[in-house]
Amino acid sequence: MIPTVGRVFRVSIGRVVVVVLVLLCIFACARASEAIVLTDVTKETGVTFIHTDGSSGQHYIVESVASGLALFDYDGDGDVDIYFLNGSPLKGTKSGKAPKNELYRNEGSWKFTNVTDQAGVGDTGFGLGVAAADYDNDGDQDIYVNNYGPNVLYRNNGDGTFTDVTAQAGVANGHKVGAAVLFFDMDKDGDLDLFVASYLDFTYENHLMRTSKGIPKYAGPMDFPPMANNLFRNNGDGTFTDVSIESGVGKHKGWGMGGVCADYDNDGDTDVYIVNDVYANFLFDNDGTGKFEELGLITGLAYDLHGDEQGSMGADCGDYDNDGWLDFYQTSYADELATLYRNLGSKLFEDVTMTTGAGTRTFPYVTWGCGLVDFDNDGDRDIFVACGHLEDNVELYDTTATSNAQNILLMNTGDGKYVDVTDQSGNGMQVKLRSRGAAFDDLDNDGDVDVVILNARQPPTILRNDTPHENHWLQVRLRGVKTNRDGVGARVKVVAGDLMQIDEVHSGRGYQSHYGTRLYFGLGKRNHVDRIEVRWIGGGTDVYQDIAVDRLVILTEGSSKTSRR
Amino acid sequence: MAGKIPDEHPEARTEQELAVLKKEQLALAEELTKDFPGSEDSLVVVGNVWNRYGDAAAALKFWEKALAINPNRADVYEIMGWLSIKKGRFEEAIAQYRKALAIQPRLPGAHSNLAHALMILGRLDEAMEALEKEIQISPSSSFAYFLLGQAYLQQKEYEKARENYEAAIKIEPGYENAYYGLATVCAQLGNSDMAKAYSEKFKKLRAEERKDLRGRKLQYDDFVETQKNAALTYIEAGRMYRDGGKLQKAEELLKRAAGLDPENVISLQELASLYQKQGQLSKALEMHKKISEIVPDNPICYANIGIFSVQLKQYDGAEQAFRKAIALAPKRSEGYRELARLYLEMGVKLHQARQLAEKAVELEQAAVNYFVLSLVCYKNGDTANAFSAIKRAVQLEPGNPEYLHLYKLIQLRN
Repeated sequence: MIPTVGRVFRVSIGRVVVVVLVLLCIFACARASEAIVLTDVTKETGVTFIHTDGSSGQHYIVESVASGLALFDYDGDGDVDIYFLNGSPLKGTKSGKAPKNELYRNEGSWKFTNVTDQAGVGDTGFGLGVAAADYDNDGDQDIYVNNYGPNVLYRNNGDGTFTDVTAQAGVANGHKVGAAVLFFDMDKDGDLDLFVASYLDFTYENHLMRTSKGIPKYAGPMDFPPMANNLFRNNGDGTFTDVSIESGVGKHKGWGMGGVCADYDNDGDTDVYIVNDVYANFLFDNDGTGKFEELGLITGLAYDLHGDEQGSMGADCGDYDNDGWLDFYQTSYADELATLYRNLGSKLFEDVTMTTGAGTRTFPYVTWGCGLVDFDNDGDRDIFVACGHLEDNVELYDTTATSNAQNILLMNTGDGKYVDVTDQSGNGMQVKLRSRGAAFDDLDNDGDVDVVILNARQPPTILRNDTPHENHWLQVRLRGVKTNRDGVGARVKVVAGDLMQIDEVHSGRGYQSHYGTRLYFGLGKRNHVDRIEVRWIGGGTDVYQDIAVDRLVILTEGSSKTSRR
Repeated sequence: MAGKIPDEHPEARTEQELAVLKKEQLALAEELTKDFPGSEDSLVVVGNVWNRYGDAAAALKFWEKALAINPNRADVYEIMGWLSIKKGRFEEAIAQYRKALAIQPRLPGAHSNLAHALMILGRLDEAMEALEKEIQISPSSSFAYFLLGQAYLQQKEYEKARENYEAAIKIEPGYENAYYGLATVCAQLGNSDMAKAYSEKFKKLRAEERKDLRGRKLQYDDFVETQKNAALTYIEAGRMYRDGGKLQKAEELLKRAAGLDPENVISLQELASLYQKQGQLSKALEMHKKISEIVPDNPICYANIGIFSVQLKQYDGAEQAFRKAIALAPKRSEGYRELARLYLEMGVKLHQARQLAEKAVELEQAAVNYFVLSLVCYKNGDTANAFSAIKRAVQLEPGNPEYLHLYKLIQLRN
């Protein structure tokens, strides 16, 4: 049995916060349909955020790549809140009130309240990438924002407010064009280190604009010099040290976009995958001590099947074929397929996009946020892809392309193949905007994963998962004790009968976004979990047996009877 | 317009100039439809103009009209297939490529494009079948071998994948993607040393290519690109007027094409051909000389310069041009053959002429090479070898009246 029964956490219902016993137990209500249904509930949520990219016709390249978002439980009340990044006026843009990032507290029942000002997280920098993580191991999640310009670290005070601690932490990272942010414990010392990706070396001085058939458009990444990424080691006292050079990360320059950390080689430490725009992707292989070797080419992750670099945008990982190895999915530019890399073990991947159908429908679109998510809880990971052209006027010079586009939903058929179910999956999949970041979590605690999408220059799209509850599920939240508090990097294995699934807790993933601190396991018709194994990063292994399903369990490090250090 | 134009091109043009260029082309397209009423060719050209301006819907409208007049236009189905791929409509693309191939089964490249679309849909067996056909039609298509390698790779038939990558590299030694394929195959087979070696080769080639690409990207000028596209329209229109017997109009349009894109050798080749047709050999020679300035490493254009120089009795220039052709491509036969022919015509260096003709035959056993060898032998009084050579030429090309004439002549003398 799980020893966490009886532990408490807060669940907010409307504006009243009550304390309830551990879990959330939503029993599946059977309905006769296998379809995934995502319903657009944006209007009823009370979310009033409208993204701005600071543009005024100058076509600064940074406009085109904004922005990501974060889903995390900032107030520890048991439901997932939303933090949207925003752009800011770029040179030449007239502006009244400065746009800022916005935090929305989840009040339950699909109502959200803008708490930006009271929480103190309304950064007015040009927001690009974000991640949430408990970097100071004090039991709440902090926020790091990767801007065009100085970055911001907000420490969560634990009372619903945050303090900007960027200067004292030493993580402003100069004045760069930001991209992904990833927290992970690179040296297994129990605190989270910080990987800060950069896109390219853009300044107002080296800005240039291109045209196509006389129509203005954004310059490409290769019009600007590449940048090295930065890695900051957590000193454990609220400060960080830039170890980019000594770690081996800083010697590789690229055009960084999305990324995700994962133990791709199952060797017990966390590695870093950063995708580059029109350049070979980087796989920074960790030797377990925070020293990295770049292995993108030799592992098969740098290029697509043909050996071409893609205009890579976002990246996610998950074990799509349930073989015990984390696979990677990445989005890309138009005229390219979003790509699924199957992990073969032995530090080798194969591009299985075409043989699995995992790139279906993506070819004509610029694709951004992505998630390997089991939307129908049938025990395998489906794929969600956020679409929308980089250019806001592409139709003027290429009518085969569209600025606004439908997002894409590909259902895993369970035999290693994907089918396009976009048009059969509810009105939420009919929305056509210029999507960027996408994030996936169970916003209404009903056992299935919902979606929040940030759209460039538009309100976000919030999709409620209304897939008939035919399948069982289990959600897992980790509590590190000796290792990092949220179990970032911990490997969880769930065995239910013939089904074995793995996952890891990530901080920062997709297109410059954050989601999934809670882990989701669809179980299909299996009504019982035989075993959960948690391998803590830098810690031991806990094994739990005979676990009831259709609930969220909180697993605390060292709490299992069979805990191995 | 806000924003800075790339510094490398202070001469870059304005939107207005681009609009004028577009208007000119559309006017030309309209003129074509008037001058060639009911012609599918003019509709194809108009469709091409819209396509070059990114208006796929308008392009399709004209191409479909062209197909209504003549449903046997494989080239139209082929370009429609390309457009369908761009839109991500792979099933449509497959159907269009199949239609093109039903009309013209040996249309070069079409089987490869079909295979590409099939492969994206994961239909590997069909893709492989198409690629095998492409290889039969275009045995020097490195792309077809590469794609076939990709198909075998995905089917995990690694040895066959390797063979095809190697074939692609044999045809195109700098084919970086094929090296990537080899690295992948070796990695899958557990041969990490070879995988590393091929990866390094790939990396080196890719770095060189990126260096070039970066240069090209920085130099990219939308107006110049638009002019290049406009030149294609003028070439297409010029060909139509030439084929319609309106040679003056054709010349005017081809000259405009050459003006719009001075680097485009096709407009110059078309002009040379037009001048040749009109007996204006000096002008034709001038065009070939211009081509040689654009592609100075191309042996064919020197061979052409030589041939026209001979016709204009400019023997010194001709000799120089043929020697340049030989120097640039010592393994090609044209230079040797044409120089031999020149010496024959001049009645000089006949011994050397024979050596040259023999070399041409050694390099390429073509009818024309045997013919020239026969002429040289005959001129040198060696009727036996002259007869043997012309006999071979006639065997290779039985319908050629010139060869038959010489054959009969030597037979009589023998």
